[in-house]
Parts: sequence; structure tokens; C-alpha cells
Amino acid sequence: MQTEVLENQIRGLNIVLGALQAATSEICKSCINLEGAKTKVGKMVKKLGMDLHAASICCEKTKADLQTHIDSLSKAAEDLQVAEECECQKTAGNCKLGAECFVTAAVDLMKLIQ
Amino acid sequence: MAKARCGRILGDDIYIEEGDTTTLYFINQLRAYQVVLAALKALDQDICHNGCSLPSTVNKVIKRLGKLKNELEASDVVAEKKESLLSKIDSFLADANRLPQDTSQTCRKSARECIMGSGCFATGALNLINEITEPEAPKI
Repeated sequence: MQTEVLENQIRGLNIVLGALQAATSEICKSCINLEGAKTKVGKMVKKLGMDLHAASICCEKTKADLQTHIDSLSKAAEDLQVAEECECQKTAGNCKLGAECFVTAAVDLMKLIQ
Repeated sequence: MAKARCGRILGDDIYIEEGDTTTLYFINQLRAYQVVLAALKALDQDICHNGCSLPSTVNKVIKRLGKLKNELEASDVVAEKKESLLSKIDSFLADANRLPQDTSQTCRKSARECIMGSGCFATGALNLINEITEPEAPKI
């Protein structure tokens, strides 16, 4: 995998995690969508680490820098504060913004990377 | 009338009376800006800091928050709730004003530094606002 591909993924995940962090201070903290997003992003970060491990990057410093970024993302994903018992906040009658979901849309920002 | 929880903005749980769609409109907008601004702050740590899309997006957010503030002031939202929401808008405006607003810099795609394709994180972050589909904007 090329360095650029890994860098784009790191850029995207950094933004997604910023948005999800904000969602944890919202009613989304008790929402299954945030719980699911945390799991999904955690898997993305883990896969990124495996991709980096398998990548043929000659420069050791570049590889180490990317690993540092991935480690930071991994910690940010783990640190997302989600309630122990979650339910969809729409179903609970608390989230009244329509059919869509901020959290899902935030994770979908990764789809902007082509 | 029964009160229902409908959000948590800047650490405060927000309640409205059932059926108060005008207040709900403003609350939902602020819920979205809370997430959008967090995404933009993350972008500010990225190469976007030296580009033009992030400042352009920030300017849009500032303009829209200003419009939202005017609409809230002119609305029939009850005074106490209005003051509370206005202070939250001011807080978001202060956050937005701390982000880059100079659009004269070169787009990072044009500078061949951003190579993620035709998409743009700044635009995508702003589009999170479009996730709000209910209730419709009140006629003010």
C-alpha cells in the first residue's frame, strides 16, 4: 500500500474522531449508533495498522511517523466515552432531528477519500 | 405541558415542551454545529490549515450562525430558553472565529498536497448540517 493511501486514511480518521468526540458530549453518548461507530472506527484504525505493517515503505522514519499517528488514533478511538447501556436516541424519543444521524454521517466522511 | 429531553449542548441537557417545534429547530441546529465545529477544529490541525476550503467553510459557518442568532432573537422562543440558546450560539461563534478565515491561500489540491480525490473534508464536515431534516425552519 502506498504511503499516500495510508496518509489519507489517517487524515480522515482524525476528522471523524474529532466529530465523534463532540458527539460523546451530546445525547449520542447513550446511543447505539455512537457505540457502533466507536467499534467501526476502532476496526478501521486496527486495519490501518495492519496495512502499515504490510506496506513496503523503505524509509523507516516515514513508517515510524505513520505508526505514531495510528497509535494516537487508536487511543482516541478507545477513549471515546460511550454509556454502558445504549439505545437509539430516536427510539428513546430524545433525538428529534429526522431520519438521519450525525454519528453515521461523521463516519461516512471516510467515503470522501477516493 | 410535559417536557422532553432533546439534546445536550455544551454540557447542558436541553428540554422542550412537547410540540414546541420552533425551539426544537434551533436546538437541532446547535446540536449539528457542535459536531461540525469539532470536525473543523480537527481539520485545522491538518494540511487544510494552509488551504482555502477550511477558511471558506469557517466563513460560511460564521455567517450561518449569525443568521441563526438573528432568527432566534426574532422568534417567539420563550425568553429564558432564548437567552440560554443565544449564549450557546455566541460560544460557537467564538470557537469559529478562532479558526482560519483567510481564503486567499491556495487550495491544497491545487498545491498537489491534498491527494484524496475530488472530495473535500471541509465541505463534508459542513454537510453534516444537512443531516437535520426535522423540524422545518420556522417562518419568522
